[in-house]
Amino acid sequence: MYEEVTGSLVQSYNICKRQVWLMAHQIIPDQEHPYIEMGRLIDDISYDRDRKKINFENVVIDLVRNDNGNLLVGEIKKSSKAVESARLQLLFYLYKLKQSGIDAKGQLFFPDERKKIDVRLTSESEMEVVSAINEIRDIINMDKAPAFKKIPYCKNCGYKEFCLS
Amino acid sequence: MKKPVYIFSDGELHRKDNTLYFEGENGRKFIPVENTSEIMIFGEISLNKRFLEFISQSEIILHFFNHYGYYIGSFYPREHLNSGYMILKQAENYIDEKKRLFIAQRFVEGAYRNIRQVLKYYQNRGKNLDDIIYAIERLGDLIAGTSDVNELMAIEGNIREYYYKSFDEILGNSDFEFDVRSKRPPKNSLNVLISFGNSLMYTTVLSEVYKTHLDPRIGYLHSTNFRRFTLNLDVSEIFKPIIVDRVIFTVVSKNIIKKDDFDQDAEGLLLKDRAKMAFIEEYENKLKTTINHRSLGNNVSYRRLIRLELYKLEKHLMEEQEYTPFVAQW
Ligand code: SF4
Repeated sequence: MYEEVTGSLVQSYNICKRQVWLMAHQIIPDQEHPYIEMGRLIDDISYDRDRKKINFENVVIDLVRNDNGNLLVGEIKKSSKAVESARLQLLFYLYKLKQSGIDAKGQLFFPDERKKIDVRLTSESEMEVVSAINEIRDIINMDKAPAFKKIPYCKNCGYKEFCLS
Repeated sequence: MKKPVYIFSDGELHRKDNTLYFEGENGRKFIPVENTSEIMIFGEISLNKRFLEFISQSEIILHFFNHYGYYIGSFYPREHLNSGYMILKQAENYIDEKKRLFIAQRFVEGAYRNIRQVLKYYQNRGKNLDDIIYAIERLGDLIAGTSDVNELMAIEGNIREYYYKSFDEILGNSDFEFDVRSKRPPKNSLNVLISFGNSLMYTTVLSEVYKTHLDPRIGYLHSTNFRRFTLNLDVSEIFKPIIVDRVIFTVVSKNIIKKDDFDQDAEGLLLKDRAKMAFIEEYENKLKTTINHRSLGNNVSYRRLIRLELYKLEKHLMEEQEYTPFVAQW
């Protein structure tokens, strides 16, 4: 076991399993790559009531307190193209918050498309998160990185030159 | 794209808040931190710890050269891309003699094939290199069958000896006769250029190693003693013929560097600053030259090619893809 599952790994998990393994083994090839963001593995949750924001790894989450005293965690995304990936990531955050004793609800915002999607940590979606976490752990624990298989994402991936060299 | 900064004059390097500057006889010169990958120091420089701390934070390497233009050493900021996994793999491949020999052989093979390519190029242009190429090819055939690194090094030495003999034929310039390979300090002009170019190559590769997860202290062809950097020497072998030597051929044949660009002092020959700068200009141009990369599907510079070579080595250490060295197509 190399490291804790983080939001960055969950994000990678939706994109490419090989990326998960490489990141978890601290193989972060190209720091000069313009798209590189995922290398920044800042993994502390800082919960700041006043600013009403949670800084969570490389994602800043807007945070609103709703009437019932529950937290609403909202994540703003540019486009709904990667909605599945965004949903799983948000579920992962909700799950982590729950583990720290904070019950929260989630919402994905797509301002450009005037769209909102509610994300709830139900027993079903919790299972989904747990199984993703387990699978990420399995990937990390593999002796070798999952073999390279070209996917459309490779074009914008910081690992591109590493994978294709 | 970050660039190396070269300093030839004497002076002081300073940090002022979050900027760097060089103060020399001709006033102050700012060094843009975001755009600088490394600082190559040829002049007499003084600097302090504050400066080194900032350099470290900014992930800039300092490479020092002596009066004659040879590499002395580097200030290599504490490794910023650490992967315990990769270091273990690198060490494992060093300790296991078979694995180490395999990698060392690939480096020599790369050097050999690129040397051959350079010679073939000049053979096609009418230079009489048949005998030398024949001898080198016979030696090249022996690389794969070597049973230890010393034997491999001996073959490499022999190849290089034949190869340097070809320089006289290639250059056909009596001011730059090879005679015998001499180092520290070199005895003739051609040797000065070779040593200078190789020094530059070692630092370029070292700077690229810094951007990977490889530990430069663990080399395979050049033995590791953990006291100096050796992996960059290994990888340089592959690129010296196609980068350094081609720059030498250019600066000599185009008269960019001439006989009177050298000074004799008590200990040996040295290249004048003007000539060093001219050499560096050609060298940097060469590093920027791009070639088409098949699997990446776009053009990459020679400098980038060095990085890709290191990635290939990493993948070999990870047991993903057997390492094969880069061989120039012309
Ligand atoms: S380049 Fe492609 S295969 Fe490699 S990590 Fe990125 S997405 Fe995955």
